[in-house]
Amino acid sequence: MAGSQDTVSESQNVGTGAERDWQTRLEVFSKSDFARSFPYWFIPFSIMGLGVYGGIGYNTLISLTDYEGFNEGPDFSPGNLDLEMYVQTVNDPWVWTTGKNTFVLLIVFTTVTMVLGLFLAVMLDRGIRYKEKIQTVYLLPMALSFVVTAQFWLWMYNVNNGLINLLLGAVGLGPYNWIGDPSLVLGAVIFALIWQFSGYAMVVFLAGLQSIPDDQFEAAQVDGASVLRTYWRVIIPQLKSSSVSAAVVLVIFALKAFTFLFSMFGQYRVPKGTDILATLMVREAFKLQNWAYAAAIATILLLMALAVIAPYLHYQHKQGSL
Amino acid sequence: MANLTLSGTTKIFDDGGEDIVAVNDLDLDIEDGEFVVLVGPSGCGKSTTLRMVAGLDTPTSGTISIGDEPIQNKRPQERDIAMVFQSYALYPHMTVRENMSFGLEESTDMDDDEIRETVEDAAETLGITELLDRKPGALSGGQQQRVALGRAIVRNPEVFLLDEPLSNLDAKLRAQMRTELQQLQNDLGVTTVYVTHDQTEAMTMGDRIAILDGGELQQLGTPMQCYHEPANVFVAGFLGEPAMNFFNLERDGDLLVSDAFRYELPSEIATAVDGKTDVTLGVRPESVEITDEVDESEHNLIPATVDVVEPHGDENAVHLRLGDSDQANLTVMVDGMRYLASGQDVGVRFPPDAIHLFDGATGEALHNRELTNVEQVEEIGTAQSA
Repeated sequence: MAGSQDTVSESQNVGTGAERDWQTRLEVFSKSDFARSFPYWFIPFSIMGLGVYGGIGYNTLISLTDYEGFNEGPDFSPGNLDLEMYVQTVNDPWVWTTGKNTFVLLIVFTTVTMVLGLFLAVMLDRGIRYKEKIQTVYLLPMALSFVVTAQFWLWMYNVNNGLINLLLGAVGLGPYNWIGDPSLVLGAVIFALIWQFSGYAMVVFLAGLQSIPDDQFEAAQVDGASVLRTYWRVIIPQLKSSSVSAAVVLVIFALKAFTFLFSMFGQYRVPKGTDILATLMVREAFKLQNWAYAAAIATILLLMALAVIAPYLHYQHKQGSL
Repeated sequence: MANLTLSGTTKIFDDGGEDIVAVNDLDLDIEDGEFVVLVGPSGCGKSTTLRMVAGLDTPTSGTISIGDEPIQNKRPQERDIAMVFQSYALYPHMTVRENMSFGLEESTDMDDDEIRETVEDAAETLGITELLDRKPGALSGGQQQRVALGRAIVRNPEVFLLDEPLSNLDAKLRAQMRTELQQLQNDLGVTTVYVTHDQTEAMTMGDRIAILDGGELQQLGTPMQCYHEPANVFVAGFLGEPAMNFFNLERDGDLLVSDAFRYELPSEIATAVDGKTDVTLGVRPESVEITDEVDESEHNLIPATVDVVEPHGDENAVHLRLGDSDQANLTVMVDGMRYLASGQDVGVRFPPDAIHLFDGATGEALHNRELTNVEQVEEIGTAQSA
């Protein structure tokens, strides 16, 4: 700043062409929107940047060290930074198992929730009576805390006196050990999550459906399409932006399923069948103090989230909203 | 191709326990290949009628038949009709080609090649070949309108239904599309029902027009018949721009009397109003004669004052006050070169052969204007429908 002030005073005295140019540029810059709005956006930007991007950067840095245990802080000396932790994760079968569980949870939960939500929305849009009440009934689980729904489903899945087994018992099935059986537990967790989120998907789709004018249905009807074909070929393709926004939110919730699992099992070690990257990461960090290793898993999780969100950003960009 | 018959068609909507009669006992017989315009003010039941023919609304009672086959209980898919919507209702996510193919794919068992050929033929007819691979969002209003037409004609339906298809276009394009649509209908020879609230469209496009009001058919006839021989006050007032002038008068022998003026009927016309005391006199703005001289002694010459003159270029609309009325109550069209000043005192004449008389109570026509030859009107009508 001092330098530039000097330039300004000098140019007043001497006033060569180049210095005048510099002066006018500075003047233009100081009057530009960028400079004038600087105090307003810089403060929130720096707070947010420190919290989010600073956090991500620090996490990435830690993942490059060998930091573990309680005794000393991470060693950031350049010789100590390498990708060893990432090599370890790739070679760790447990990472692959939890990665696979994460992937299954992501795909099955998102797909089924969307299809169910779409189905419910179409049903409501077809004019079932008491629409508002039904809408609330489906949206209610969304309003409940993970802690509540997790506990609630834990009771539902209870092998001896859970409601699910009682109902299945009535038709001569079971009892199944929903939580204890490693081959069932992931399905049980996914089902509970679907129960909680299908109402959300429904509301998003219903809003999309109701923005489609009646004459689209009528035109398709006159064109000779059946109700099913009308939805399949005319209506559902027009729900593209609803689908994308519902999918992004659901995927993010799937990646954050840690909260639900932690609430359900009350500890970092969850049943093997439902162990996901997020639970593994927390366990490595806060139970085993493998800080660097956990940071590497966190980075993998972040990359997965980015990969999922990238098509959405691309779509938004193409639509001109980014 | 087939004729379309509505008989006793009634539609009653239930609005929270209260019955609203949208269409009341409508009888319409539309011949094969005919272009019929349903016209009337908003809420007259014209769109509901069209929707019942399309199958989007079900009649409460009565029948609708295409050919000899009653269709009122069939679903729209099974009716062999095509419809153009006011909003066009193009499918936004499909290209023009897909929009036009959709109906063929859903309602016929044509193979892909046949569909492509049919769509391309129709596109050529409408001059939209170069738009085939665009999406509706990238088209102008006029182009979307053509695509909507194309989507309908590609189906080659028995009956073609158009619901105010031109109302979203600007005035110039509308006039152009009016001509084009007529031409197209003529070429295709498809029975067509066209709904509009615009009397110009009705007058210029239809072989016959059906004028509806309050869910009831007021008159069905050629545009010329409806214009020159209106069945009642409503039809007389609805057709024509500016509208016909009406005066509510009391009859005293051969004399029609109001506060503003008195008008003596020729005895051959006076017989038409025998037994009526309240009579509505109607006269079209272009039929009234204006004289600059006010000769008080002249028979049936009514003194008037010029209120406002609206120049239209080729002609002027003159708004006049009759007697001591404080607002304009007579509109007259005069030649565009004729100069009349606001405030000028003039005399007006209602030529006896140009007046219409309506029952003051029911609005029914008692006497319509004389044309030099009534058959001429009929001829104009038939020449149009041929």
